[in-house]
Amino acid sequence: MSKAEAGPVGAPLPTITSPMIDIRNARKSFDVRGGGKTLVLDDISLSIAPNQFVSVVGRSGCGKTTLLNIIAGLDAASSGEVLIAGRRIVGPGQGQGVVFQQHALFPWLTAQENVAFGARSLPLTKSEKTKRACELLELVGLEASAGKYPREMSGGMQQRVAIARALALDPDILLMDEPFGALDELTRIEMQQELLRIWEARRKTVVFITHSISEALTLSDRVVLLAPHPGRIARDIVIDLPRPRLRTDQGFNALYEQIWSGLSS
Amino acid sequence: MREQLTQALVALLLIAAILLGVEFGVREGYLKAYEFPPASRIVQGFVELTTVGFPTGVTLWTHILVTVVRIAKGYVAAIAIAVPLGLLIGALPVLDKMTAPLVVFFRSVATLSLLPLAIVWFGAGELTKVILIGYGCFWVMLSNVIAGVKYVDPALIRAARSFKVHGWTLYREVVLPAALPRMFAGARVALGVGFMVIVGAEMIGTIQGLGALIMEARSFYRSEITVIGMLVIGVLGFLISSGLAALERLLLPWGGGLGETSR
Amino acid sequence: MRGGSRISSTFWGLAGIAIFLASWELATRLGAIDPTIFPGPAAAIRSAVQRLPASVFLDNMAWSLFRVIGGFVLGAVAGTVIGFAAGWYRGFGYLARPLIELLRPIPPLAWIPLAIIWFGLGEPSKFFMVFLGAFFPIVTSAYHGITHIDSSLIRASRSFGLKGLGMLFHVGIPASAPDLATGLRIGWGLSFGVLVAAELIAADRGLGFMIMNERNSGGSVSVIIVGILLIGLLNLVTDAALAALIQRWIGRWHGA
Repeated sequence: MSKAEAGPVGAPLPTITSPMIDIRNARKSFDVRGGGKTLVLDDISLSIAPNQFVSVVGRSGCGKTTLLNIIAGLDAASSGEVLIAGRRIVGPGQGQGVVFQQHALFPWLTAQENVAFGARSLPLTKSEKTKRACELLELVGLEASAGKYPREMSGGMQQRVAIARALALDPDILLMDEPFGALDELTRIEMQQELLRIWEARRKTVVFITHSISEALTLSDRVVLLAPHPGRIARDIVIDLPRPRLRTDQGFNALYEQIWSGLSS
Repeated sequence: MREQLTQALVALLLIAAILLGVEFGVREGYLKAYEFPPASRIVQGFVELTTVGFPTGVTLWTHILVTVVRIAKGYVAAIAIAVPLGLLIGALPVLDKMTAPLVVFFRSVATLSLLPLAIVWFGAGELTKVILIGYGCFWVMLSNVIAGVKYVDPALIRAARSFKVHGWTLYREVVLPAALPRMFAGARVALGVGFMVIVGAEMIGTIQGLGALIMEARSFYRSEITVIGMLVIGVLGFLISSGLAALERLLLPWGGGLGETSR
Repeated sequence: MRGGSRISSTFWGLAGIAIFLASWELATRLGAIDPTIFPGPAAAIRSAVQRLPASVFLDNMAWSLFRVIGGFVLGAVAGTVIGFAAGWYRGFGYLARPLIELLRPIPPLAWIPLAIIWFGLGEPSKFFMVFLGAFFPIVTSAYHGITHIDSSLIRASRSFGLKGLGMLFHVGIPASAPDLATGLRIGWGLSFGVLVAAELIAADRGLGFMIMNERNSGGSVSVIIVGILLIGLLNLVTDAALAALIQRWIGRWHGA
């Protein structure tokens, strides 16, 4: 029923002919105060197919966020190649939509204005942008809160607005940096279901960062384990369980163990 | 580090450029020396101030001393009354509610506007100036002491109570130390207020003191002395506030500082 | 604040004011204080109005307000623009910050003689003084606001294609609004105080001048007292108005 394949360290898994995201031997170092550099990402090679939901799991400090920033075009790799749809990443605006952990909604804009902001770089008229914002708010179930300000909303609502805002770009890729990390457990579980529902409705390639193994298993097609210091790919595991997934599913625990041992080694 | 060095370098160059610019401008006649005293004249003036004095016989040091003594008298008197009074008011909610609007009102009266009244009541001498400084410092300090006591973190109080600490002991060992940072902040702001008040108060009816100095200098067309006086005032203010900040760090090593949040 | 306690605050507050006014009046009646130099509240107002018609009070008040508002607006605009620019553009910051830091410790009143030297005794020097009072707190808060923007907001806006001036206007400035608002309130309070002092020392119109003039011409203490109270009241009212304006501006979305 469940087939979990773990590829050997570093090698991408089944070869993807035209990957949406293609990272080849990427490295990233940062300058350190007092001179010298620290290597944060070492020889990362990763190929992600279109519309694949990939989780990147690892301890704090293993470079997951750095990797995400590079794919998002907010930061550049020190060496190696990083391509989106075959083209080099030179910055944001190549179809990357980002959802941050601290929602990063603009406090002075309403929910609707925040979502519309996502579309600002697109060549749409103002009313088209507003229409899109309304549609997306409906998609995430917040049409009643369109006029609210972030501080008037709960954590779960804020993250839903953040997701809607990222979707306003109509991005090819959705990059999510531990988006549910700041939420309480119950809200978190709700949001995972929400995300899957939205993803079913608007298929995108998703790169999802989390430090929760069960979250990664619940959501993704594939789990990439990043080992720290410096960050490198330890395991790359395909999750072949049908969704929705429960802890009680056969095979869930086996995968959990596999990922856990991969992280602990 | 590099940023700080760049900043320092730019600052030095900028000041040098301004000084040279003024010097050049005055020599070539583009600027009036009266309005833009050049550095050369300022240096001369400084020498005169520190030796012969301006007006003759009153050196810069005398002026500084006179001003500082006035501030000290008013400030100390204000603090001495404001602290116990504030502690009392802060501890009794009814008293606080009764006095709150009065405190707010009296604090908003521009201290220097009391000068004419003070002159009528107390004459035009030292007492008036000291009282004015005291007034300004008092209300600011009072508000801050009251706030310090009122806004002690309730969690601290509950914690103390859970260890069976009540009443006077609670006040002395929990509320007071917790209120200290705010009180210190108030003391700093109050000193700033006192400083501002004295500079203005000395511009009327006296020839000794920094405020008097810069005003007198102007009426004798010695603008360079005015500029020196202003710079000395600035340095003095800076030293006083740094001094207080250092004192606070010394006395409150647990890091109370709330910064300039008081109003 | 719970409803009950707000009513109780108002009640006790009014009680306090009443007690104060009553004891003032009583003290003068009983002769504890000489009523010629310290009249009771009722007597003060009566005698003040007798001495100077209300129109004189209003006229001087208008002049004072005109100067404060004018100088404040100048200071606020300059402070905001320079503060933002110094915080956003590092090069400009290198130039502006040392000058500002150097001049800031000098209390505004210490500028009076220089203001007279540069601008004479007329309106411009008063505007300049008020400008100084407002400028420093506002430039500081604008600078602080623009340099302390949550970095996640900057990253988020970058991910949506914003950069440079666009980012400054759409993200930088709105994000700095709360800090700027604090600076504006502080600046207003200072401006007011500076103006009154400046009018006392060197002016021929305005509330500050009015009360000093009374004293110099041996006039009525009542006028002085009423003048002082008016100044205090004006300060309170304008500050409350400013606070209300600010609340309308950022109140809905700010405040955690």
